[in-house]
Amino acid sequence: MSENTKPLKILICDDSALVRKQLSKILSEIGDFEIFVAANGDAAVRKYAEVLPDLSFMDIVMPEKSGIDALKDIMSLNPAAKVVMASSVGTQGNLKTAIECGAFDFIQKPVEKSAVEKIIKKIM
Amino acid sequence: MFTQFFGNYLLNRGLVSPEKLSDALGRLSETKLRLGVLAINAGIMTAAQVDKVHAEQQRVDKRIGELMVDMGYATNEQIESLLKTQPSAHLLLGQTLVNDGVMTNSQFESALNSYKTEMGISDEELGASDLGDFRPLIDKFYKFDNADNSSYLNGYIVLLFKNLVRFIGADFAPLNAEELYDKISKSCLGQEISGGIKALTLIDADDDTLIEFASRFSGEHLTENDDYTRDCINEFLNLHNGLFAVNLSNETGLEINLSTQIVYDDINLATIKNSHVIPVCFSFGTINFIISI
Repeated sequence: MSENTKPLKILICDDSALVRKQLSKILSEIGDFEIFVAANGDAAVRKYAEVLPDLSFMDIVMPEKSGIDALKDIMSLNPAAKVVMASSVGTQGNLKTAIECGAFDFIQKPVEKSAVEKIIKKIM
Repeated sequence: MFTQFFGNYLLNRGLVSPEKLSDALGRLSETKLRLGVLAINAGIMTAAQVDKVHAEQQRVDKRIGELMVDMGYATNEQIESLLKTQPSAHLLLGQTLVNDGVMTNSQFESALNSYKTEMGISDEELGASDLGDFRPLIDKFYKFDNADNSSYLNGYIVLLFKNLVRFIGADFAPLNAEELYDKISKSCLGQEISGGIKALTLIDADDDTLIEFASRFSGEHLTENDDYTRDCINEFLNLHNGLFAVNLSNETGLEINLSTQIVYDDINLATIKNSHVIPVCFSFGTINFIISI
């Protein structure tokens, strides 16, 4: 990233404070990003509409609204949205549903730095 | 994983107290494996012969391997082969307990041999358990009555132990599975499984144990059983259940869903039906994994 380029805006949606913290740390080690967080699916959709991030990481099992429902809402707001599902439940069914709903990618938890780096390279 | 189950065997036989075992499990990485324990494990020497060599070493300034050869207990080739042996964790446990004076070489030899015989563990299975495939060990250790669910239970527990080693540490011994006991848990964390299988999974332990468990999982130094500590425990459970769901989906095509975190305050564990308690004795305390399926 050149000095004149604005940092990418990244939204982390996970009900676990530990995961939000760990993912933020991984991102800060990879580069200079403007990071936003949301702790449930509802908050994730609201935060997305507010900041229009370049990339979002979305857990699946969350209170208020699931990650899949939040993904659907975000894709209807912006069909070009890049939402990466980051979940421990990477079952065949969830992968299929996520892809059908327009997910950009899927990361199996625990989130590894190398997996996040690959995603970042894909969008830059 | 053989280490963890061997630790349980030593506990059940009264050869070691839970405190001494926990303490030893926490210090395995500091223990240097001695040639005598390796020779006993390989069946090259008896414990009595090893004790004789150690006694001789007090008198003679020679290396232990040389003495073993000089005294006619082993060949140079056998000593060379033993020196190349990778230190298996169960041997480190035995060595630590011998060093601590909890067991003699002879008690270690006898316990190791009877454990292998009683559990019907072949050397092949023992080798496999060292390499991470310890399903046969778990099948032999836990015998669940309900045949319909036993394969799910066993699969769940195999993965649980893998995840404990991967995310928390190997310094634990599983205790025998129990029926749910009449106990009020002040604060029990849980997650429901629905879809292809219906189950409830819970974690119960005292505050200090939960704090240390969460500290290890998060890689942070936590000091209170607060919301963040609970969040870390819940994330472990969520991660474990999620990986179980992935295995199930890949192996059987069965899809399951997970609920969000459930906190049960003052719950009587005896009221949870069709449940099994898997107590796991870590060096920092005992944590109960409860699965109702």
